[in-house]
Amino acid sequence: MQKRSLITRRKALLTGVGAIAAPFVITTPGFGQTGPIKLAGLVSLTGSGSPFGPNSRMAHQAVVDQVNAAGGLLGRKIEYLAEDDQTNAEAGQRAARKLIDVDKTQAIMSVWASAVGTAVLPLCWENKVVMLAISAADSLALLPHQGYFVRTQPHTELQGKEFGRVILAMGAKSAYLIMPQTPFTETVFNAIRTTVEPKGVKVQSVIIDGKKTSFKSEIDEMVRANPELFMMGGYQAENIVMAKDLFRANYKGKVIGFAYGMTPGFIDGAGKEAAEGMFACAEPAPAGGSSAYAKLKALVKKDALDTYICQAYDHANLAILAMAKGKEATGTGIKDNIRKIANNDAGVMVDNALDGLKAIGEGKEIKYSGASGPCKFSDTGNIIEVAFRTTQVKDGKLVEVKI
Amino acid sequence: MINYLIAMATFGAIYAVLALALNVMWGMAGMVNLGIVGFYAFGAYITALLTLNAHAPIALGFLAAMIGTAMMAALVTLGLTRLRDDYLAIVTLGFAEVVRIAAENEIWLTRGTDGISGIPQPLKSTLGADFNAAYLVFCLVVLAVVLWVLERVRTSPFGRVLRAVREDAQVAAFAGKDVLRFKVKAFALGGALAGLAGALYAHYSSYIVPEIYVPLLTIYISLALTAGGIGNNWGAVIGAFVVVFFLESTRFLVGVVPWLSAEQLAALREFLIGLGLLLVLFFRPRGLMPEPLPRLVKR
Repeated sequence: MQKRSLITRRKALLTGVGAIAAPFVITTPGFGQTGPIKLAGLVSLTGSGSPFGPNSRMAHQAVVDQVNAAGGLLGRKIEYLAEDDQTNAEAGQRAARKLIDVDKTQAIMSVWASAVGTAVLPLCWENKVVMLAISAADSLALLPHQGYFVRTQPHTELQGKEFGRVILAMGAKSAYLIMPQTPFTETVFNAIRTTVEPKGVKVQSVIIDGKKTSFKSEIDEMVRANPELFMMGGYQAENIVMAKDLFRANYKGKVIGFAYGMTPGFIDGAGKEAAEGMFACAEPAPAGGSSAYAKLKALVKKDALDTYICQAYDHANLAILAMAKGKEATGTGIKDNIRKIANNDAGVMVDNALDGLKAIGEGKEIKYSGASGPCKFSDTGNIIEVAFRTTQVKDGKLVEVKI
Repeated sequence: MINYLIAMATFGAIYAVLALALNVMWGMAGMVNLGIVGFYAFGAYITALLTLNAHAPIALGFLAAMIGTAMMAALVTLGLTRLRDDYLAIVTLGFAEVVRIAAENEIWLTRGTDGISGIPQPLKSTLGADFNAAYLVFCLVVLAVVLWVLERVRTSPFGRVLRAVREDAQVAAFAGKDVLRFKVKAFALGGALAGLAGALYAHYSSYIVPEIYVPLLTIYISLALTAGGIGNNWGAVIGAFVVVFFLESTRFLVGVVPWLSAEQLAALREFLIGLGLLLVLFFRPRGLMPEPLPRLVKR
């Protein structure tokens, strides 16, 4: 006897249609101009950016809670939403769609991966939502974003030049660069070469597939070239693998890498012995001695802060203050006013949203200077002034050093 | 909200075309393909490069994506004629990785990991804010046409031979069928549809980058087909929409389970995808809509 399927085609179709319509039914409608002001973080909670996304979310939430506790913004509460971009452009687009179309956010903050930023930015400018990004690929600022884009992370050419400066300062006569293929690999390599080669430093470079589970052959080849300095230019996951291979190969030269790839997580993963003495470079110096930095440390209850949590803190503060300055709780309000509160050197210096809101309420002009630095933006959205810092792994901890 | 639903329905329609492509290769012809995302990427890059660099009309980009990917799929099949099951799955997985890594590193052609942005969107300037709704209608029409064609294929003599090859290639060969020719045709047809899905995505999102084309997407499409019913075209379509709904509806768990942090929810969403696949395989191994059995001839 032929067994009939429990689910008929008609039932399946009805289920499908119901499924598509369900989010429409089960979610709450938007509050419009009278409800809360929506700000969102599109952060990497899974994928290669996951070491940093949770911190960004924590910083955003802390700022929003602080402002809400003090009475909110323009007489309204702020609602913070976070979505995981899975460090993937397509997933990031879907997440951004939800934030923009369903949640009606006015700003998307702290996008980390450049590919996600590039995929999501057109959605932002089409919907008049501001993107405050960490993504560093140079091409992002060149998109026709109509001003709906600023970033606090220095673009990659600047980072490459900083690596060049460090190599020269360390007195290395030969450098071997290894980086996975990323949107900024070529830019960084070119910036390093143009900085150090005229000074007589011999440079060799290799691009790797970052998804490999071992880089032994690449490390062996590097060791055979016997450079005085090795740039281990991966993200945290690749650097852990490379550092272990490097340790086994008994390489004795200096090792430098991007600060985002040489984190406390990297030291744990690679092991103290393997990581000892390595330098983490091109990190936008959190304004370490600044009051903003100290306030953020207290707010998130952490002893040391990386640049990304500092940038995320600044994104939330900047978005709130720009809306307050323009008395307009929209993406356009942020776009039109962000430079008025960030680039105005003549204004009263503020380092957090609460003080800024108070000063604006008193009719004063303000200049926001944050935990990640001065936060001044060019017309294309790039950060103008940036100070870098270098840290070194000493006894299993990252310690700031002067180079 | 409506814009979001339109966007997700568009993703659902694109995934459905991709699931139908996989159904031709795997469901109908029995050739396990874990590299469907490679063909999807191939189609997307062909149309992106043609329409952006050579300023070809978008329609030509779609056509080239289908023909180019079909040819690539046929070539791949010719190299895999002796492989079945697990081995075929591994090699196709490798093919997709080769496509992704080539796209990452052949910067002169593909702009590498920067990706290709500004891919033309049909009638975008004319339609303005209505573009997304119009594109959804276009995707649904394309999906309906593909579904109609594949239903015709399924019930045609060609479809019957594919099922015979799937069940036992030796018996099919013994019955005088040129098994290799049928396999190549099935892979080429599936490839053309995967290329079409790739082109649909490229002209919708206007931006493609190699990191989109990761094995995770193959898992989503395999899950769509498995959940819907391997071998059933309608099942593939329903499965694709179910997967998109599942991926998106889990975002709304934030309000339902407030005791979980955003990080825990993000991890839980990925866990639920895997669990969903396991549950479907365990309780409904033939999917929500099992392949309709051929009618028995009455004696």
